[in-house]
Amino acid sequence: MNRMKTNRRQFYFIFTIYHSYIKYSLKIGILLACVSLLSACSPSLSSTEQKGEDRHIRFLYNFSTNSLDPHVDSSYVPLRAGITETLVRLDEGNLTIEPWLAESWEGEDGQNWTIKLREDVTFQNGRKMDGEAVKASLERALRESIAIQNALKINEIEAEGYTLHISTTEPFPELVSELVNPNVSIIDVTEEDVVNKPVGTGPFALKSFTPGSKLELERYDDYWDGASNLDRVTFSFNEDANARSLALESGQVDIVYRPEVESLDMLRAKEGVKVESTATFRVHQLTMNLERKSLQDVNVRRAVDALIDRQGIVDTILLGHGEAAKGPFLPSLPFAPSYDERPAGADVAVKYLGEAGYTLEDGKMVKDGEALQFTLLTYGSRADLPLIAQVFQSDAKQIGIDVEILQIETPEAYMAANRDWDLATYSNLTAPRGDAGYYLNATFHPTGALNFSGAHEPELTAIIDKLNRTVNHDERARLAEQAADYVNENVINSFVLHPSTIVAYNEKKVKNWVTTRSEYYMITNLLDVK
Amino acid sequence: MFQIVARKFLEVTLFLLFITFVSFLFVRLAPGDPVLTILNVDELAVSKEQIEVLREDMGFNKPLLVQYGIWLLRFMQLDFGQSYVTGQPVVDMILMGLPATIELAVGALLVMLVVAIPLGSLSALYRNSWIDHLSRIVSIIGAAIPSFWLGLIFIDLFGVRFNWLPTMGRDGLVSLILPSMTLGLAISSVYVRLLRSSLLDSLSHEFIHAARARGLSELRIFLVHAFRHSLPPVITVFGVSLGSLIGGVVVIEVLFAYPGIGKLVVDAIRQRDYPLIQGYILIMAMVVFVVNTCVDLSYRYLNPEMKLKERRAS
Repeated sequence: MNRMKTNRRQFYFIFTIYHSYIKYSLKIGILLACVSLLSACSPSLSSTEQKGEDRHIRFLYNFSTNSLDPHVDSSYVPLRAGITETLVRLDEGNLTIEPWLAESWEGEDGQNWTIKLREDVTFQNGRKMDGEAVKASLERALRESIAIQNALKINEIEAEGYTLHISTTEPFPELVSELVNPNVSIIDVTEEDVVNKPVGTGPFALKSFTPGSKLELERYDDYWDGASNLDRVTFSFNEDANARSLALESGQVDIVYRPEVESLDMLRAKEGVKVESTATFRVHQLTMNLERKSLQDVNVRRAVDALIDRQGIVDTILLGHGEAAKGPFLPSLPFAPSYDERPAGADVAVKYLGEAGYTLEDGKMVKDGEALQFTLLTYGSRADLPLIAQVFQSDAKQIGIDVEILQIETPEAYMAANRDWDLATYSNLTAPRGDAGYYLNATFHPTGALNFSGAHEPELTAIIDKLNRTVNHDERARLAEQAADYVNENVINSFVLHPSTIVAYNEKKVKNWVTTRSEYYMITNLLDVK
Repeated sequence: MFQIVARKFLEVTLFLLFITFVSFLFVRLAPGDPVLTILNVDELAVSKEQIEVLREDMGFNKPLLVQYGIWLLRFMQLDFGQSYVTGQPVVDMILMGLPATIELAVGALLVMLVVAIPLGSLSALYRNSWIDHLSRIVSIIGAAIPSFWLGLIFIDLFGVRFNWLPTMGRDGLVSLILPSMTLGLAISSVYVRLLRSSLLDSLSHEFIHAARARGLSELRIFLVHAFRHSLPPVITVFGVSLGSLIGGVVVIEVLFAYPGIGKLVVDAIRQRDYPLIQGYILIMAMVVFVVNTCVDLSYRYLNPEMKLKERRAS
C-alpha cells in the first residue's frame, strides 16, 4: 500500500515536472505554429497576386550556386535568371547563332573580328553599354576564368564607340559561337560586388541573393528589348527532385525545372499543372576503347552498336522523356546528318560477330579459343547511365557475351588514367553553343581532353583540322556532317539517346514559358502571368 | 599553471597538425581531378596539353609532401586559400554557410531534447509499462526511417496537404521547423534508449536509497541525484556523435534547400575543390575538439565522484 502511494507520489512529481516542461515547449510550439500559420498564408496569396498589382513568378531550379559571378559560376544562374546577356545567343527555333547585345559581326580570316554593338542597351544601373564597357567585361572574363581564356583564344580587344575589334591568337572561326557561353556575359565591371550583386543588361535586376538558396529579382524598366510585364521573380534552388515536385504541388512555386520523373503522373493529375519535355544537346553514349584488341575490329564495334536497344531504353529507363540517338548531334541541328535506318537487334549483332570471326561455343562467343567479354564502366552521378549499362549487360548475355560492370567515381579522371576497360557509359554535350567544333575536337581529335576512346583516325583528324580553319558557315556545317558520318560509319563510340529536359509549371498562372533545348534562357522579358 | 596551458596548447597543435596531414593525404589520394572542373571540360574544348600545363602551374605535379608543406605554410599565415571553382576565399565561404548549419543543428538538438528527455525518463521510471513499450517502438521506428524519407513525408504533410510550413529555403524561424523536426526525430531515437538505460542504472545505485533514507523529496532525488548522475554517458555519446550529426545535416540541407556548409562541402567534394574541403575538415575538427573538451569538463560538474577522486589523489 505504502509502495503504491510512493509510486503515485513519484508519478505526480514527475508528471508536474514534465507538465511544466511540456507546457513550456508547447508555448514555444504554439508560438512557432502561429508564426508558421502567418507565413503559411503566403502560398494562398498567389491568387491575389495574380489579380492585384504584384505580378510575381516563383521559379525553382535544380542546381544551387554560392557565387553569382557571371564569369565564373558554372551553373550560369545570372544568365538563366535574366540578369545578364551575351553578345550573341542561340536561336532556339533554327538552332543557329543570332545577334543579342551585338548587332552584327564579321571576321573573314577567322582571326580579326569586328563586332558592332547595339546602341540602345543600358546596364541595370543606368550606365550605357558601349564598346569600352564590353571590352572591360570581356577582359575580366578572360582574367577570372582560365577556361574562358582557353576557349576564346583572344589576343587583343580594342573598343571604338560601339564597335569592338577582337584579334585571336590563331585563326579561330568558332569565336562567335563561343561568345554564346554564359560565362562571357556582359556586366558592368565598375560595380563593386560582382560575386553577390552582378549588374547586367537583362530584363531583371538582382534585388537580393541568399547564397545556396535563392535570388530575388525585380523588373528592369529600361530594358532595351521591352520591359517585362512581371514585377518580380523569385529564382530559388533545390537539388532534391522529389522536394521540387512537392514544392510545385504545394503551390509554393510556379515553375519547376527537372521535377522527379516518377512524380510526373502525379503532377499531371493535378489540375492546372503542365509538364513539358524537350530533347537537349546532350547525348548518352557508349564510349569504346579502341586500344583494346577486340574493339579494334569494326565488326565487333558494329555488333556492340546493334545490341543497344535505344527505343527500349528511352521507354523504360527515361519513361519516354528522351529521343533515341542516331548520331552524336540532335537531328534538328543544321549539321546533323540524315542517317539511314541501321539494322539492330541480337540477330544483327550475331551476324557482325560472325563476320569478325566469332562463333558460339557452349553459350559463349569465342574467337581463337578466347571468349568475348567486356569491362563496362559506369558512374552514378547521372542516374540513367548505370541502368543503361545493366540493360546492355543483359542483352549481351543473351548472345553469349559476358559484360562486367565496373562502377567508378569520376569518369574523366578514371578513363584518362586507366586503359583496362572496353566500354564506358558517358554523357556529353555535343553542340552546347550551336557549333560542332567543341565536341569533335574534344572527343575525336587525338589532342582532345575527352578522347577516351583513343581515336587516332588520320582521316577524321584531317576533317576536324579543316573545320578548325573554316570560317564559312555552310562549309563548317558540311564538314561537321562529314565528321559525324565518319564516326557513324566506323562506329567510333555508339550513341544511345538524347535525354530530355522536363519542366512542370502552373498553367493557370504562368504565361509564355519556353523550355529551351540549350537550357540557357529561362527567365525572359516575355515570361508573364495570366 | 603555465605548464598545464603549455601542454594543452601543444596537444591542440599536434592534433591539428595530424588532422591537416591526414585530411590532405586523403583528399589528394581520392580519385578525381580539379583541373578538369576548372577548365570546364564538360562544355569547353580543352586539349590534353592545356590540362597538363594547368596541372603543372597549380603545383599538382609536385610531390605530395611538398604540396602539403606549401599548404601548411599558407595555413600558418591564416591563409586557407581560395576555392578553385568560385575563386572566393575559403574562410568567407565557410563562414557564410556555418550559421545556417549551426541553426539547423541547434534546432535539431532542441527537438531531440523535447522528445528524448520525457520518453527516456518515463520509460525508465515505468519500466516494462505501456509507456516503455511505446518509447521502444518510437525509438525503433525513429532509427529505422531514413531521414530523407521522413523529410519527404513531412514536406508532403505540412507543405502539400496542410500548406502550413515552407518546405525549403532559409527565411526565418519558420523555415527551420521542418528540417529541425526531421533531423531531431532521426537522432532522438538513440538518446531515448540511452537515457533510459542510464537512468535505470542511476536509480539502482545505493546513493538513491541513501537519499530516500535522508527523507529527500522524490522530485529532488530524481532531478539532483538520479538524472544528473545519468547524464555523463549521454553527453559522452553526444560529443562523439557530433561529427555524424554534422554529416547527417547534409541530407537535410539538400532536401530542404537549406544553405549550410554540409551542402557546400558535398559540392566541393564532387568538384574536387581541395582548398574548400581542406578548410571544412579543419574547421569541423576544431568544432568537434572544442565540443569534446566541453564534454570532458562537464564530467566534473555532473559526476561528484570525479571531484572526490581528484581530492583524494591530491
